[in-house]
Amino acid sequence: MKLIKKILRTIKSDRLLLAGCIGICILLFIVVAAPLITEYDAKLFGPDALVAPGDPAHPLGTNHLGQDIWSMLIYGTRTSLMVAVVASFISALLGIIIGGIAGFFGGWADRIISELINVFLMIPTLFLVLLIVAMFGSSILNIMIVIGLTSWPSNAKLMRAQALSLRERTFVKSAQAMGENRRQILMKYIIPNGVFPVVANTTVGMANAILLEASLSFLGLGDPTVISWGQMVYDGKQYLTSAWWIAAFGGVAICLTLLIFYMTGDGLNHVLNPKHGKAGE
Amino acid sequence: MTKYVIKRLFSGLITIFLVFVINFILIHIAPGDPVSVMMGKDNNDPELRAALMAKYGLDQPLYVQFYRQLTTTIRGDLGDSYIYSRPVVDMIAEKIGPTLLLVFPSALIALIIGAAMGILSARHEGSVIDVIFSGLTYILNAMPSFWLGLMLIILFATRLNLLPSSGMIDVRAGYTGFRYILDVLRHLALPLGTLVLINIPYYYRIAKSSVLQVTNEEFITTFRATGMSERKIFNKYVFKNAILPVVTVFGITMAFLISGVTLIETVFAWPGTGRLTLTAINQRDYTVLMGMYLVVSVMVALTMIVVDIVYALLDPRIRY
Repeated sequence: MKLIKKILRTIKSDRLLLAGCIGICILLFIVVAAPLITEYDAKLFGPDALVAPGDPAHPLGTNHLGQDIWSMLIYGTRTSLMVAVVASFISALLGIIIGGIAGFFGGWADRIISELINVFLMIPTLFLVLLIVAMFGSSILNIMIVIGLTSWPSNAKLMRAQALSLRERTFVKSAQAMGENRRQILMKYIIPNGVFPVVANTTVGMANAILLEASLSFLGLGDPTVISWGQMVYDGKQYLTSAWWIAAFGGVAICLTLLIFYMTGDGLNHVLNPKHGKAGE
Repeated sequence: MTKYVIKRLFSGLITIFLVFVINFILIHIAPGDPVSVMMGKDNNDPELRAALMAKYGLDQPLYVQFYRQLTTTIRGDLGDSYIYSRPVVDMIAEKIGPTLLLVFPSALIALIIGAAMGILSARHEGSVIDVIFSGLTYILNAMPSFWLGLMLIILFATRLNLLPSSGMIDVRAGYTGFRYILDVLRHLALPLGTLVLINIPYYYRIAKSSVLQVTNEEFITTFRATGMSERKIFNKYVFKNAILPVVTVFGITMAFLISGVTLIETVFAWPGTGRLTLTAINQRDYTVLMGMYLVVSVMVALTMIVVDIVYALLDPRIRY
């Protein structure tokens, strides 16, 4: 109970974090309550195609197949958040393990892994993702895994820096003196204590994952069996002159969701290192 | 300095080598055997199959294949596109001009505008300008580039009918000389504008935070205490120190730009490498895709190296 109060107070202390957290709650509500706040199934091909926004039955209009835009936006939230959570979970897990090993063990392992991290940060991720998805098929599962597997380097870099400084701390040294082995120390002390910057970074990672999935869909590499905002923009491109709303609303949804994640991430960074927040922003 | 340059070149080479290795691994673990990956789907020409087998030594052990493929790649042979039966290198070389025309100017313009906005914000921290700029860049940062491009088309091409929405030249007009350049510039306006808008936030952020950081340094306070004018302090000391991090961001943004431009080229039907990539995706032309991946990585690595060297020239601390 005390912990919850403390967390709530921290959230309230930072405007960006508060706004971001409220936004995430709204997104989660939309994910859960999707059938309640929509009138149509997003995959239903209705009889009225290309209805303009403002129509009493379809407030945001319909697309070329008669699908209700509002329903598509709402159900698209599920896809985007699923991509965000799964991809960034894989990426965080890989980053924590690889970065933790590099920073804690040091020496050759660190030199090789650091160079690898720098190299991977340099390579354009979009192209790699695109290539793999084109080769292995564009099911949503593939897309999520590939995004996760290609976005770990920034997490690894953060975790490595944490591990480097933590291993010099007294409590780690004393654990060493007590005879705990290196794997135990890594799992019990280094990773739990160094994980916070990675968590803050994960919110940005989620935003990037959503953007990447949308970009893939826009290039025609999306999963055609799911409703996705990027797919909506892709579909709307053909009808840009006659039915602007198909492409427009999908993009607005992406934009708002990214804003929520960025605000949460920046807020978390402010709260985690208050000094940094003053100079930046 | 020489040692620093060699070190940077070496890590650039590692990057490119790694991309090559990724390509090699992908070919071998992709569904189907490497030959069918390179030949494309529904192609069963036994003659082509035999030629490819011989060229890359695909009946040999893996390390021989790796060596063969590496040497052919170093010689500048990225294989042939199975759709067009043409060398991938030639296809990319043809299309790279328009892409670079889009990438470099937009990066430069974004740098100038973004840095100027950031410096202005930092000098008047908390003012109306600062709040507006910060809010604007925050929202811009969250916009998907391809969507912003489409919205600009709706606004400037469809509604206002001011600018062309696609292509690089007006094919029907057939302009020459100065009119031709003017025509290209008109077509360039929207894609270039989109890229500039998308890239401004990065420069804005870094310029603003580094100016603020330098302003809070002790030596600046000392100058203030001695009564030096604010303008002189800024021009002589703050600006020089604050602009350096902006240069580094230029390298990093370049990496995003060179691959991200694919999306923008798709939106505006710009006849560059992005179009090539898109066609290759649709036809599952893997040799072209892998060639593009390699070329893009080389370009990114080169830009990074150049930026790092420029940075080291500007700031001697880096070299040591």
